[in-house]
Amino acid sequence: MNAKLSKESILGLIAIGIFVGMSLFTPRFFSSSNLSNMMFQLPEFGLIALGMMVVIITGGIDLSITYIAAFSGVGAALMMTNGFGILPAIIVGILFALACGAFNGIVVSRIGVPPILVTLGTMVLFEGVILAITSGNAISGFPDAYSLIGNGYYMGIIPLSLLILLFFIILTGILLNKSTWGRRVYMYGSNDTATLFSGVKNSKVLMKVYLYASLLAAVSAIIMTSRYNSVKVDLGSSYLLQSVAAAVLGGTNIHGGYGKVMGTIYAVLIFQFIRNGLNLMGAHSSLVDVVIGAILIVVLTFNFFSDKFSRKKAENTPEKAA
Amino acid sequence: MKLLLKQKEFSVLAIILIITVILSFVSPVFLTVQNWLDIIEGNTVIGILAIGMTLIIITSDIDVSVAALTTAVTVSIGYLFQFLPDNWSSVVLIFLIAPLIGMLLGAFNGLLVSRIKIPAIVVTLGTLNIFSGLVLYITNGNYINSTNFPDSFLAFSNIEMAGIPILIYLFALVAFGTWFILKYTLIGRSVLAIGGNAQSSVRVGINFEKVKMFVFSYMGFLGGIAAIAQTSYTSAIDPNGLAGMELTVIAAVVLGGANIHGGRGSIPGTLLGVLLLAIMQNGMILARIDVFWQNVVTGAIIVIAVSYDEINHRRNQEKLSNIDVKEAS
Repeated sequence: MNAKLSKESILGLIAIGIFVGMSLFTPRFFSSSNLSNMMFQLPEFGLIALGMMVVIITGGIDLSITYIAAFSGVGAALMMTNGFGILPAIIVGILFALACGAFNGIVVSRIGVPPILVTLGTMVLFEGVILAITSGNAISGFPDAYSLIGNGYYMGIIPLSLLILLFFIILTGILLNKSTWGRRVYMYGSNDTATLFSGVKNSKVLMKVYLYASLLAAVSAIIMTSRYNSVKVDLGSSYLLQSVAAAVLGGTNIHGGYGKVMGTIYAVLIFQFIRNGLNLMGAHSSLVDVVIGAILIVVLTFNFFSDKFSRKKAENTPEKAA
Repeated sequence: MKLLLKQKEFSVLAIILIITVILSFVSPVFLTVQNWLDIIEGNTVIGILAIGMTLIIITSDIDVSVAALTTAVTVSIGYLFQFLPDNWSSVVLIFLIAPLIGMLLGAFNGLLVSRIKIPAIVVTLGTLNIFSGLVLYITNGNYINSTNFPDSFLAFSNIEMAGIPILIYLFALVAFGTWFILKYTLIGRSVLAIGGNAQSSVRVGINFEKVKMFVFSYMGFLGGIAAIAQTSYTSAIDPNGLAGMELTVIAAVVLGGANIHGGRGSIPGTLLGVLLLAIMQNGMILARIDVFWQNVVTGAIIVIAVSYDEINHRRNQEKLSNIDVKEAS
């Protein structure tokens, strides 16, 4: 028995490798200003990717997640521009998101419509609602204190938003691995019928999954609106497909049943390093998309062949033993 | 008659009729031949793509790269136009080359889905990024206008037969051809069989990988044709023109009764789905409903339609299992 690294640790090593490689070969990558830049960009994407991962573990997908974020951002922004304080604004933003999540959750868990169809519909629906509210305009002009959430430091070094991300990484990890709900999320993802027959109320589990994803979207929205000091209908919409890609690259099984918080976070880091490094090298921004798409396919192709190889090996060993 | 009423297509048709009646009261322009021709011509691209998507969804897969694939072909067409002569042979050449390029791109998706067994949504998500990234890199996001187009192609775009634009004939041809393939050819029946029950169909000897390869390549092929339609309709090449259209295409197919669980879906249904989305959009413009509310209505209709479909489906399943129990006792 040689100690075998888990899929996630290998991904972590790849992330470190890319980081070291970029630092060596890209001037200014390993500069303090660039490092802090990346630390500020990470949380918003990381939170959405985590939310997406939780949904994918149940075998679903949430295409409406970035519009939930935008909707929640609009909610918070409207509160602030109408003279309410920061705290009520944040609470309203989170409530807006939870309402969207509850809507997804009800249709998925009670009516049983496939999540990809529900969230495809609600994505258009939420986008429409935001457009109807904002008329497509940006809302801006928030109190100065609000911008601290996305731009402020804790003790002068660590970005506040990064701490928020850390908190939710730990929270998601604990919830998924230690709580009854979390274990049921994995159970549902690997076999929903068996889960139902072992006395689990599937609809409740699913409902909470969509609520949790929308909560993470709301937190991400608060960080984004605070960082940009404005909100528009397309807030974070570029993260939609990227978050699916990050979850899948992180080892989450798109059919459900498997997925680790750290895997997703490593994948988010890899994307961030590549995006940032390529930008510094002066590569065309659309080439970054090409690279991310290619990585996704290459890694999964590699997985397929390594699975095949190890299966062959496993088939051969018993014969030899006999 | 009862059979007709129970069909999924019928309920979509009923909704279309109701909307038509309402809209013809709201706007006198709506129920004119010219308006309907405009609606259909304007939705040829979505329609052609939706027809290809129907086959993929029947086999319970999905392809989110269609819009990027089509754009990649339109850009290739734009570059080809610089080298093509100004006579009718260039139109013929385009009709040979564009579907071929599309088919190759689609086959790439198909290869990864069928051989490497990566889930279709992941594969096409990756190729969506690759295709659109490359297109934007090559074109720099710039619009190519029709000055470089061969005159023969522009003339082709303006052909009308019996007052009906050529694109509508193209659309009809694609729809009829695909319907024929699904209904009367071995590969078409295999598509439906795999959608119905993948395991049993493999046991009766259907080559699963070949069928998957076929549906994705065929999607690419239709993407190539849609690219010609798009170029001819807009008389320009816009690298961002189709961004996000994959979701509209999927929505149209789903509205038309195809189910992501696979096995169900038909060309007439998809055409009705496309028509429903199209007349809603057209009608809301004619009714002067604020542009911003249109997405709300479209989204709501998608959610209601899929929920209604699911409830119906489940009720039928329950009825079936009831019969089983009764017969057994």
